Amino acid sequence: MSYNLTNEIAVRASKNIYIDKTSVIKLFKENYSKADILNEALNLSRVEENTDLNIPKLKEVTKIGKRWALVTEYVEGKSMQELMDKNPKDIDKYLEMFVDIQLEVLSKKVPLLSRIKDKFKRKITETDLIDEDVKYELLQRLEGMKNHTKLCHGDFNPENIIITEKGKYYICDWSHATQGNASADSARTFLLFSIQGKDDLANRYLELFCLKSGIEKGNVQRWIPIVAATQMTKGKEEEREFLSKWINVAEYQ
Amino acid sequence: MKKEKLELVSSIEQLEDAILKVRKAEEEFSKFSQEKVDEIFKKVAIKANSQRIPLARLACKETGMGCMEDKVIKNHFAAEYIYNKYKNAKTCSVIEEDKIYGIKKIAEPVGVIGAVIPTTNPTSTVIFKILLALKTRNGIIISPHPRAKNSSIAAAKIMLEAAVEAGATKNIISWIDVPSLELTNFLMQNVDLILATGGPGMVKAAYSSSKPAIGVGAGNTPAVIDDSADILTSVNSIIHSKTFDNGMICASEQSVIVLDKIYDKVKEEFKKRGCYILNKEETEKVRKTIIINGALNAKIVGQKASTIASLSGFEVPKETKILIGEVENTDASEEFAHEKLSPVLAMYRAKNFDDAMEKAYDLVVYGGIGHTSSIYLDVAKEKDKLEKFYSKMKTCRVLVNTPSSQGGIGDIYNFKLAPSLTLGCGSWGSNSVSENVGIKHLLNIKTVAERRENMLWFRVPEKVYIKRGCLPVALEELKEVLNKKRVFIVTDNFLFENGYTKVVTDKLDEMKIEHMTFSNVEPDPSLRTAKEGAKLMREFKPDTIIAIGGGSSMDAAKIMWVLYEHEEADFMDMAMRFMDIRKRVYTFPKMGEKAYFVAVPTSAGTGSEVTPFAVITDEKTGSKYPLADYELLPKMAIVDSNMMANAPKGLTAASGIDALVHSIEAYVSVMATEFTDSLAIEAIKLIFEYLPRAYEKGAEDLEAREKMAHAATLAGMAFANAFLGICHSMGHKLGSYHHLPHGIAVSLVLNDVMRYNSEDNVAKMGTFPQYKYPNTLRRYASIAEYLGITGKNDEEKLEKLLQKIDELKDKIGIKHSIKDYAVKEKDFLKTLDKMCEDAFDDQCTSANPRYPSIEDIKQLYLKAYYGGNKNEL
Repeated sequence: MSYNLTNEIAVRASKNIYIDKTSVIKLFKENYSKADILNEALNLSRVEENTDLNIPKLKEVTKIGKRWALVTEYVEGKSMQELMDKNPKDIDKYLEMFVDIQLEVLSKKVPLLSRIKDKFKRKITETDLIDEDVKYELLQRLEGMKNHTKLCHGDFNPENIIITEKGKYYICDWSHATQGNASADSARTFLLFSIQGKDDLANRYLELFCLKSGIEKGNVQRWIPIVAATQMTKGKEEEREFLSKWINVAEYQ
Repeated sequence: MKKEKLELVSSIEQLEDAILKVRKAEEEFSKFSQEKVDEIFKKVAIKANSQRIPLARLACKETGMGCMEDKVIKNHFAAEYIYNKYKNAKTCSVIEEDKIYGIKKIAEPVGVIGAVIPTTNPTSTVIFKILLALKTRNGIIISPHPRAKNSSIAAAKIMLEAAVEAGATKNIISWIDVPSLELTNFLMQNVDLILATGGPGMVKAAYSSSKPAIGVGAGNTPAVIDDSADILTSVNSIIHSKTFDNGMICASEQSVIVLDKIYDKVKEEFKKRGCYILNKEETEKVRKTIIINGALNAKIVGQKASTIASLSGFEVPKETKILIGEVENTDASEEFAHEKLSPVLAMYRAKNFDDAMEKAYDLVVYGGIGHTSSIYLDVAKEKDKLEKFYSKMKTCRVLVNTPSSQGGIGDIYNFKLAPSLTLGCGSWGSNSVSENVGIKHLLNIKTVAERRENMLWFRVPEKVYIKRGCLPVALEELKEVLNKKRVFIVTDNFLFENGYTKVVTDKLDEMKIEHMTFSNVEPDPSLRTAKEGAKLMREFKPDTIIAIGGGSSMDAAKIMWVLYEHEEADFMDMAMRFMDIRKRVYTFPKMGEKAYFVAVPTSAGTGSEVTPFAVITDEKTGSKYPLADYELLPKMAIVDSNMMANAPKGLTAASGIDALVHSIEAYVSVMATEFTDSLAIEAIKLIFEYLPRAYEKGAEDLEAREKMAHAATLAGMAFANAFLGICHSMGHKLGSYHHLPHGIAVSLVLNDVMRYNSEDNVAKMGTFPQYKYPNTLRRYASIAEYLGITGKNDEEKLEKLLQKIDELKDKIGIKHSIKDYAVKEKDFLKTLDKMCEDAFDDQCTSANPRYPSIEDIKQLYLKAYYGGNKNEL
């Protein structure tokens, strides 16, 4: 199929994103890992086929010229982030909805996805952005975590939720999906808010998540140094100082 | 010593190789003698001790945490106290022996220990664990923390050199040079035991490694200061402890809970001694600094108070000892409530002692469950408070008036608390150990238990009077020796009506002893009858009970005696089955405090006059309570054959054959002894000789009557001590289900049971240490020999004995099968299964030389029912 790539809606370091009628085309840069693209497509398909969640369906994986492209359904609507920004007085309502959607995702099982502990372990082990002795502490902490198999989105933030005019929501971007611990997924969301400097929102989110899920705050907090470390592996210079403060904590002895 | 070039351990392959080497070294080391091991232990302790300062300096420099001078103390402690504690401990081969009981404890090493070392005590923990390993002949591999690897490895290296120099096998100690989680995990999965000291993540990893692990947990010690405490001692002890190595000991106080009444004084004392009480704003700043997202900021661990203040954004005097935050919450939302591993202390004000305990409890449960709690109070005056406190705390150590850092590691402030740098937190902390870890946790203890035989006994009434005509003579003793005044006679109506009690009452009248007679005992006496008699006894208040009659009267009298002396006695408990009468659950009440018990048998069979047994039937439920306890032994038995001279033929036969079964079963019982054997075999001989005469001639043959009286009492003494077997188990049930006289019922199964017991290849033998192998055929044959039976082998002798028993039965009119006694086949088969199960569960079953299955009992019953040889079912 050929697409009309005139309507570009976003540009990222690794890809350009276009809309063409009912499709969203993620066009990756030429040297981008083929395996990562196929993996994203595979994750998306697995979630699509194993759950009844509302997600934009995968249409095809194709090549446009020398570049790989991932084509999904286009859902017309606004991201929850936009809505939050636009209606600050309704923020509580959105936050509530946000947590409910996250808990719905976490209630699903997709047995073939990779496991969160394996993924985190690999990321922390491979990076050279973290000191060996800190890694040792983090990996030990990770090792002690229970093995859960809940569907974790892995990048659950309001930008990845599209709400249509009729109020129906879609959850996008499943490239980081794993199966694992609700606390870890929540710690990730908390971290994503905090990195943006939205401390108040981060705290309100965490309180609400713990209240609705019945998970103790301490359990989510135990994951924070670990998710901070995996965030560190992305190598974003501007986050480094902030993250290293969160990572460098001691296990009680 | 010859210096080996040590290979670096930095990969799985190298670690595998290192483990192999240590394992090989340990194989040889495990054969070392106690002397050699002690010599090595001493030399290595001395060496480690001598290096305490350089090692402390190295640890401080490498980790940037803690206080060098205090680390010297920790190293010193680990070397000296561990040596001192265990220098004389036996850890090789036989460490304990009791020759009389035949039990030996043998200590063997567990093998190779994987020791995980924390950053907080990188050298002292190494010294501690290596010394324990050497003393117990184990190999050890150190897994240091990457942040402290150089100091941990330095300590291990020094000790390895010293050990080898002292004669230990080379490679007995090893370590990971380049630590990583992968190597630590591999180590944990490939050693024989893990000694894990570290954070919860590591301890969890240790426990899930599939190898036995001694992992210990986090502490969050609260110190309660009661208003009875000595404030000066309390505050200064806490300061001394909290500042130790800049607060890095896991038992260190994390909070102090002070009773309202003395709060201000305590606070003043803290201030006076150089602690800094944070104001509200500073408290908030410290909160933000020490805890990040609920986790402890690594930067503050083991730092000085002033450094932590600077990190928080304000200054305190450089020499400040502790930063104290006055806070209220005891849950996770309060940063000060966490374990802080630094000289930062939370201070709580408690309304009263209970409030203080609640707070301490919460802090322990939240952050240091299982570890340590501490209290300061006046021990002499406040025993109750102390008891309340230690009952409430979920901690494996409760320290009293003691600095908890130095106190928890033991042997400094209390000399019975084992010195250790690995403190168990019990199941509360998900640990396998709740004590201070020591050598015993690193040993496999073999127990060598030799076979021993039970103590046995021979117990009969203190006084057994015999010979025809002895009754009135014996009774004189009641007056002249025992000075008795009130006698209660228990008998049955037949004997009463026929004047059997008159001999007794006449004599009592003559001696002017008050008496009362209860003559309502029925065959198979009921609980109701016993209660009735006991009620009369309570009214009459006898100091003597005389039972006159057969088994029923004597049993009923024994039960009345129990009820008279112990009104509340529960027969259900008393009748509880036992495997060993001396280990029974129920303790029988003491008997004889109110009344002296005299038994006068009027038939030659039951033996109850000399036995500790009695059976009573609950008429409401039909259940029988067989009681057995030496408390039930009569105090005096008077066996006067005049009382039996006119016994009817049927009674003579049934009780005589009962006595025969008593003696045969006692003779082959697993509990038989020479004491019971001689009585049993003599009784058997007398019965074969005199029972037909007594049956035939009755009162005309007084010699036969007397011999039978003695035979029955001899048999009674034998089975009072050796117990019986399954003839009685089965006879009891047959008699009660189908209303056969007891003696007849047991005799009907006798021959089949004897054949059954005599088999050489039994499915299961009876369990009793004295009973070593199935030998019942020989036992029966020896009875036959005593009776003068000859035969070419034991089988033939047994056959002839069985024949002789049949002949005896014929002579005294006893039939050979259950069927012959008009028990209907239909009724018999209907009750059979229930009878089998009940017989199996009878108290007599356990002394039988062959342990029967319920099916075996069924087959025996069937054979006994149809009789003879037409029993191939």
